[in-house]
Amino acid sequence: MKLEAGWVPVALSSSIEAATSAGAVVEGSEIVVWRDNSGVVHVWEDRCPHRGMRMSFGFVRGDHIACLYHGWQYDAGGQCRYIPAHPTLDVPSTIKVPTYVSQEKYGIVWATASPDAAMPDIGPAVGSTPVRSLYVDCSATDALSALDAEGLEHISTDTGLLACDGDKLFIAVQAITTTKAAVHAVLLGPPSADNAKRQAHHARRLEKMRYALEQAAEFA
Amino acid sequence: MGGASCEESMIEAATFTFRGQMICESFTEFALHRARRLDLEIDLGACDAAAAVLSVRGQGDLVDAFEMACSLGPYDCIILDIERKTAT
Repeated sequence: MKLEAGWVPVALSSSIEAATSAGAVVEGSEIVVWRDNSGVVHVWEDRCPHRGMRMSFGFVRGDHIACLYHGWQYDAGGQCRYIPAHPTLDVPSTIKVPTYVSQEKYGIVWATASPDAAMPDIGPAVGSTPVRSLYVDCSATDALSALDAEGLEHISTDTGLLACDGDKLFIAVQAITTTKAAVHAVLLGPPSADNAKRQAHHARRLEKMRYALEQAAEFA
Repeated sequence: MGGASCEESMIEAATFTFRGQMICESFTEFALHRARRLDLEIDLGACDAAAAVLSVRGQGDLVDAFEMACSLGPYDCIILDIERKTAT
């Protein structure tokens, strides 16, 4: 799904720590996912308006992110506020990074250009533990087909619940390109003493699925 | 510092003549885009295969940035010389 079409899962919440940034791709659109010091997550186009450097290479400073290249600083709304080479410049409102609306739900960061679209809903949050984001060299369609074969109970086209060895996983699939996809998985339910063990178990299972998918893609 | 601050934020108007190998449509689109990005007022003047004339008005630093951007020009134009006339 494209960012213009609805809510797209772009990362596990746990993968984006405070004061860090990471690059991601949704159907070819490059985005930066960053979290400010107060814990709020932001999703923008991954391009500084100055010279096109990836903002995901930048540095988070408080609630601003600074481009790695020339240090231009942008506030949480994407507006450039400070240009180090021109410290007294009143930066015009036209120097702005295009932003997406972002939200965190079920331990996943979601982004969209159409915030009125419905967010996948599995009812009240009951707690979640991140399993992992799995990056697979196959299309999102093929990844979903493999998950369907495992018994994925769809919530939406790209998301669903997967019952697995007594646990319930929430799965959200992100189309990166036509030949790459990300599968974000979280373990639903309150944390338990053996969470780490279960997390590792499900991560290994997903890795096996990836191996099978990539083998199938290679020999198709 | 205070003096420099006032100077740097001053509004400046400049008329540029960019000379070189120009494709008017391409260069004009490029200049309009950069002026919009830098929040500059722009008036397009004459343009032919050898030169383009235009005037911009805005913060001095951003007029400088505009000149730098247009000195590189779009990929299909080659800028060999820039004449700048400033009126503050």
